[in-house]
Amino acid sequence: MLGKLQKNVMEILAGAPHQPLSRYVEWMITVVVLVNCSAVILDSVPEIHAEYKEFFHELEFWSVMFFTVEYVLRVWSLGARFTPEQGGAWKGRKGYIFSAFGLVDFFATAPHYVHIFFPGLDLRILRVLRLLRILKLSKYNTALQDLFQAVYAERRAFGSAAFLLLISTVVSASLMHFAEGHEQPEFFGSIPHAIYWSIVTITSGYGNVEPVTKAGEVIALLTGFLGVCMAAIMTGIVASAFATQLSRKKSAYLLQLRKVLEDGVVSDAERNTLKHLQTQYRLSDADVKKMVDEINTEKAALS
Amino acid sequence: MSQAPTGRLPRIKRRIYEILEGAVVDRASHACEIVIAGLVVANVVAIILESVHSIHEAYEAYFHIFDLFSVMVFSLEYVLRVWTYSEKHTGPGDSPWKGRKEYVFSMFGLVDFFSTVPFYLQLLFPGADLRVLRMFRLLRIFKLSRYNSAMEDMLEAIKAEKDSFSSAMFLLFISCLLFSSLIYIIEGHDQPEIFPSIPAAMHWFVLTIISGWGNVDPVTYLGTILVIVTQILAIALAAILTGVVATAYTAQVQRRESIYEMEVREVLADGVVTEEEQLKLKTLQAKYGMSNEQVDAIANQVKAEQSNG
Repeated sequence: MLGKLQKNVMEILAGAPHQPLSRYVEWMITVVVLVNCSAVILDSVPEIHAEYKEFFHELEFWSVMFFTVEYVLRVWSLGARFTPEQGGAWKGRKGYIFSAFGLVDFFATAPHYVHIFFPGLDLRILRVLRLLRILKLSKYNTALQDLFQAVYAERRAFGSAAFLLLISTVVSASLMHFAEGHEQPEFFGSIPHAIYWSIVTITSGYGNVEPVTKAGEVIALLTGFLGVCMAAIMTGIVASAFATQLSRKKSAYLLQLRKVLEDGVVSDAERNTLKHLQTQYRLSDADVKKMVDEINTEKAALS
Repeated sequence: MSQAPTGRLPRIKRRIYEILEGAVVDRASHACEIVIAGLVVANVVAIILESVHSIHEAYEAYFHIFDLFSVMVFSLEYVLRVWTYSEKHTGPGDSPWKGRKEYVFSMFGLVDFFSTVPFYLQLLFPGADLRVLRMFRLLRIFKLSRYNSAMEDMLEAIKAEKDSFSSAMFLLFISCLLFSSLIYIIEGHDQPEIFPSIPAAMHWFVLTIISGWGNVDPVTYLGTILVIVTQILAIALAAILTGVVATAYTAQVQRRESIYEMEVREVLADGVVTEEEQLKLKTLQAKYGMSNEQVDAIANQVKAEQSNG
């Protein structure tokens, strides 16, 4: 009985698609997090703080209670993740506690209790930790995970862009130092000084310092143009990473679809898998329909 | 007796070539790569620190010794490269100087040469301008690009889309000529100190393109319109460049995946995967920087197709 409850709670908190309650839990946590973050922002305005101090205090108390219950439930229910043969209750719990999400959940809540025991603590640190709560949302945001995945897949391209950025910063700064170090020693007196100018120029166009020599002028213009190119390269890599990821997901889904349709029968379990995969890959119904049509025409052509 | 050294020397030469070129990926060539790359990074850091006056004063002797040491290492590297690159082309009728010439006049060869040799020039002519010398030393940073295959990826991607890039550059060039001439004609009379000539107007144009504002406010209506159009052009140009880069990268990824897929198809065609074939696929995967998931997906697809057909 307790074991069944534990398993259900785990599935609800993990957002399993066959638990209707999981959606509401997800929504509730999201709303509480958003209300909390708005409160932190509003609380920083002195007039609002003076007027609604009590209310914010109350809100903070109940939010901490809410998140504490959530955390305790998560830790408890994740004991059901692995059977004793697979490693026991604490394997799943440990996995959660030391995951990025588990740490965020902990550090977004626990400091409140520290504050109760040691009231003399710096409140600013506490407030920063409260803002951590917004990271709880990333658990529900698959787009963020997609982003990380896409960036990770193209890490080599990003690496080369970073390398290019590094080289162009150092080279342009050094050239500028050689060209204008004597003329404007307060800006280009040393290469580290000039690196600051070079980064400003690359990131925001024309730099904070006007070059006075012809050579400096040319270097500054080239550096600025390089900045435009760097922005283009970075954006281009991200765009390409997303496009590639989408096509990869589509082909993975197509493969699964082919397998399901192969025997001509679509069982309930298979339909469930496909539905799950579709939401996970965030493919639209139109996309899926197109793929099904494609496979069907292929089959018709074969037979 | 006289056979042994002549047999050993070519073998040593071959080995050094392999280590320096990284043709065979093994521990020695990897270590060599790390040592040279580390020395280059240390050199660049030294150049940067040396430019700070107080640090330069305090540690001048150390910097000097370090530079001397670096030059020794890089000279040795250069000499060894030139000597061993005769191994690059070993076909019948190939002179040993073919590979050497190729290296000496390649970009890397020139970088290696010009980042080291000026030091010796200074010994011969002590009166040379130190700034020029330091500029040449800075060239050493480009030695790093030899070890960064991602850099080659980027160049390859750009080369494949060179038509699009050159058309974007052409657009930039044409609009630079057109717009700077126009602004000179329109505003040259009203602001002669800012637009005294077309080259000066070109400076304004490039500034506007890279930073959105050319440090100048127009005073005529026509000039205002022209400035606004230039600013929009700057955004459009950034978008075009971004799009071209994105397409280039996507095309490259697709090209590589299809090359890999073809290789997998070939390997799986006879139904047997030998150890040699496995190694070949692994090398290709490493070369293209593909993740295991990608590779598995491709392999699964090929397998599914072959079981269907």
